[in-house]
Amino acid sequence: MTLRIAAAFTLAMLAGSTLARAETTLTIATEDNGDMIRMQALSQAFEADNPDIKLDWLVLDENELRQRVTTDIATKGGQFDIVTIGTYEAPIWAERGWLVPLDNLPKSYDVDDILPPIREALSFDGELYGAPFYGESAFTMYRTDLFEQAGLEMPEKPTWEFIKDAARKLDDESNEVYGICLRGKPGWGENMAFLTAMANSYGARWFDMDWKPQLDSVAWTATITDYIELMTEVGPPDAEANGYNENLALFQSGKCAIWIDATAAGQFVIDAESNVADSVGFALAPDKGLGKSANWLWAWALAIPAGSEHQDAAKRFIAWATSKEYLELVAEKEGWSDVPPGTRTSLYENQAYLDAAPFAKITLESIQAADPDNPTVEDVPYTGIQYVVIPEFQGIGTAVGQRFADALAGEIPIDEALENAQWVTGKVIERARFLQ
Amino acid sequence: MSNTTTDTRQSIADMDDELLPVPRHRLHGPGHFLGLYGSEHVAATEFVIGAAFVAMGATIHDILIGLLIGNTLAVLSFWLITAPIAVKTRLSLYTYLQHNMGELVPRLYNGANVLIFVAISAAMITVSATAVRALFDIPPQIYPYPTNVWFAVIAASASVIAVLVAYYGFNVVAEFGTICTPWLMVMFTAGGMVLIPSLNETLTGYTTLSSFSDFVNLAGTTVFTGINAEGEPGIGLWEVIGFAWAANTFAHFGLVDMALLRYAKKSIYGLCTATGMMFGHYVAWISAALMGAATAYIMKLSIAVVAPGDVAFYALGATGFVIVIIAGWTTANPNLYRAGLAAQAVFPNIARQKVTLMVGAVVVVGSCFPFIYRQILPILAYAGLVLVPLGGIVFAEQHIFPRLGYKSNWHRLKGVKDNMPALITWGICLAFGFGLNFLNIIPFVYLFLPTWLLSIVVYTILAKKYGADRSYPEAEKREQEFQKQVEAYHAELAAKEKHEHVRGTTIPIKIIRAIWIVIGLIVPAVLAWRVLFNSPNLYDYYVNRELFYDITIWCTLIYFVLAWTDLQLSKRMQRSAQSSGAEVPAE
Repeated sequence: MTLRIAAAFTLAMLAGSTLARAETTLTIATEDNGDMIRMQALSQAFEADNPDIKLDWLVLDENELRQRVTTDIATKGGQFDIVTIGTYEAPIWAERGWLVPLDNLPKSYDVDDILPPIREALSFDGELYGAPFYGESAFTMYRTDLFEQAGLEMPEKPTWEFIKDAARKLDDESNEVYGICLRGKPGWGENMAFLTAMANSYGARWFDMDWKPQLDSVAWTATITDYIELMTEVGPPDAEANGYNENLALFQSGKCAIWIDATAAGQFVIDAESNVADSVGFALAPDKGLGKSANWLWAWALAIPAGSEHQDAAKRFIAWATSKEYLELVAEKEGWSDVPPGTRTSLYENQAYLDAAPFAKITLESIQAADPDNPTVEDVPYTGIQYVVIPEFQGIGTAVGQRFADALAGEIPIDEALENAQWVTGKVIERARFLQ
Repeated sequence: MSNTTTDTRQSIADMDDELLPVPRHRLHGPGHFLGLYGSEHVAATEFVIGAAFVAMGATIHDILIGLLIGNTLAVLSFWLITAPIAVKTRLSLYTYLQHNMGELVPRLYNGANVLIFVAISAAMITVSATAVRALFDIPPQIYPYPTNVWFAVIAASASVIAVLVAYYGFNVVAEFGTICTPWLMVMFTAGGMVLIPSLNETLTGYTTLSSFSDFVNLAGTTVFTGINAEGEPGIGLWEVIGFAWAANTFAHFGLVDMALLRYAKKSIYGLCTATGMMFGHYVAWISAALMGAATAYIMKLSIAVVAPGDVAFYALGATGFVIVIIAGWTTANPNLYRAGLAAQAVFPNIARQKVTLMVGAVVVVGSCFPFIYRQILPILAYAGLVLVPLGGIVFAEQHIFPRLGYKSNWHRLKGVKDNMPALITWGICLAFGFGLNFLNIIPFVYLFLPTWLLSIVVYTILAKKYGADRSYPEAEKREQEFQKQVEAYHAELAAKEKHEHVRGTTIPIKIIRAIWIVIGLIVPAVLAWRVLFNSPNLYDYYVNRELFYDITIWCTLIYFVLAWTDLQLSKRMQRSAQSSGAEVPAE
């Protein structure tokens, strides 16, 4: 009798504890990129290890993701438990108190293993607010075969003078090989990401310490002039329509001798889809000897909105999805070359990864050289390398990018484009700062 | 004429016009009400109510259809409920209650009115202050209470000025309010048009809309998302209809607008409220919501806390400050005035100045709290619930009693101090309405309907018990005589007063009018059109938008100077026509 009572009691306790540990559903809002789609597929492993947590994925394109997440997160609506954000949003949203700081992560997570510039870019006031699952910088990709034929040798740290000179020498339009491919498609995250990084290396800046736009400076003029002259002379036709994807396709098909763009391209220019997979070399992004090169820094991260009612469960998922173990899981299932790059130092100490990714060392160097808190040669009141971490920058960057694209297309002269860029930046920032 | 008749005539002549029915020669045509309702209902409140629908999580389809239905119901309510009683009695509700409800009911009614009008005034002054805060570099106020002492100082100062203006210069501000209507209509529409491209660009990467369905998609994804500010599914079609209908319950079912519609020649002029309901509410609320959502996204703030001043600034540039200040004050002013009048009726033994200062002090304190303007929509709905039983009581007297053979003015005829059936009915209905609200049986926006119906039934039953079905031959005779004297007095007035409204028709006035119409209204409208339809990319959008901002502020200045001049010159013409007794062309 006593045994029966004890058994019944035990069963009741177990039932109670199961009820108490009822299932938590985490709603994850994310972008439709390869790494997130892969994470969604692999997350069954997390659910298997954490039966008290169910994952509900909402996949959106980048614009709609930003719009919907911003609307919900600003109201602390709590629709989403985990959101995908970039290094642009992280400090802005953290400052507004919209994100939960990622403190108290398990020791095994090894937060110090996150690459310092990436960690800095996802932090505010010294606290981490986004756990990175992907990181990138920018570097130079070039055709080793064409360089060899021309008797050129790419330095590990090329200068802009060298790049311009090499591009002119390698240009062979009759064979549809263009000296250089650079982003021309207008957008704050397209041509302006590249041009801002290039301008930084030329000693330019978006704003001075009094928030006066500097698009009419000598440095910006030199940047845009060199860019347009180079692209006009030795770039592909209709370059103003080419963004990252278009230039990747051009490079893979052998039409670009040199391409300066995101380190993410590294794995694609040497994969099976590339016609020039065996002839690609990598170097750092060029500089002008002023102490800043044309690299940049970007990361996609997982963050927890302050309105989430499942913050502890969300932290558990985030810690899993951005851990060393997750990277190993990807490697196990899909190979080291598919491991999302740019987040952890330990990845770049893994020989298997280094063997699968010949661009890894340069990628690491590019990321380590990035300093989002001091992006320019002269002092600036903002952070961010290829963007300015202010809410207005998306609009400013896109509008300015459109003028530079028009100049590249030959529709307006360079000085008019710069004048327009100066004007629109001034107007937008003046209006924004008036209300602050 | 006997001495008694003469005495009566004299006492009628000495009475405040407000206490007498409106004479026939002072009635207005439909044009008057079209303009009046347009100006009353295109105001600073629309900024706040538009944003409230977004924060409540309505979907775009529910908004497009629900607001149409709800505002149509409001127009029908004004036409079928309010206007017939107003035209029949030719009295304001306040006067009607004084005549027919004894002493206590009007006092309690006015007490409720004080609170409601004080809340509306305070809210509108806070709205104006949100514009002024930017000019003084004060941070946005995103909490229900002020977080910056200078914001409180600005709001309080604006209240003090508004109270003084309402006290000393009500008529000037009221007059000024009448010229604001066309300008407000254009600005509200233009503001929404100017921000649509930037909102669309954040979602789609394009500044242009190629069809109405693009607009619906944009509004549905970014503004009316169906999710409320707490992240929960938002209100549905029925609630949208209810809010739109209930937003002016105290004016239609509550009969407060008898004060306006008593001047209508015919009850069908109740349909003229459509300018206020369909434009002021329907278009302006949607436009305000768009502007609010776009500004919230630009500033990376919640729409629930983004300030009307900031919204207007992004939508209209410097003109935005003008609209918020003017719209805020022209709404606050009549409500302050009404609050003061109501307070005087509640405290007749306290000096008028002191009462006005007391009301003013409450407004000054209330205006410092953003909470009030952010909650204006539920405040209006609950205000309607408090006042609607009296509307039902009056409806019963005017429509039900004659059909049952009761006397509509039985209480006045009976001559007792207080109208107990009215008091009891009001009490029962308040308990019923708020009880239903507590039980959460139906959405609170619809509570006015059963409450109104209950008041009709209860009052009819109680009034019969208290003598509504009896005859009062002596009192009826006196009343008939009094009405005859009033009619005779009105006939005398009609002979003396020029009753044709004269609109200035001289060449200079026509030229002035043409200029303020073209420069003040058409030019900004065209520029806003360019921003929306002629901005193929973000750079061109910014160029067009800045041009709109830069020119519209000058257009606004010219508009107000010339429209005011037009009005004053027309009035001067009217006065000189009246004093000369000459025939002048009517409107």
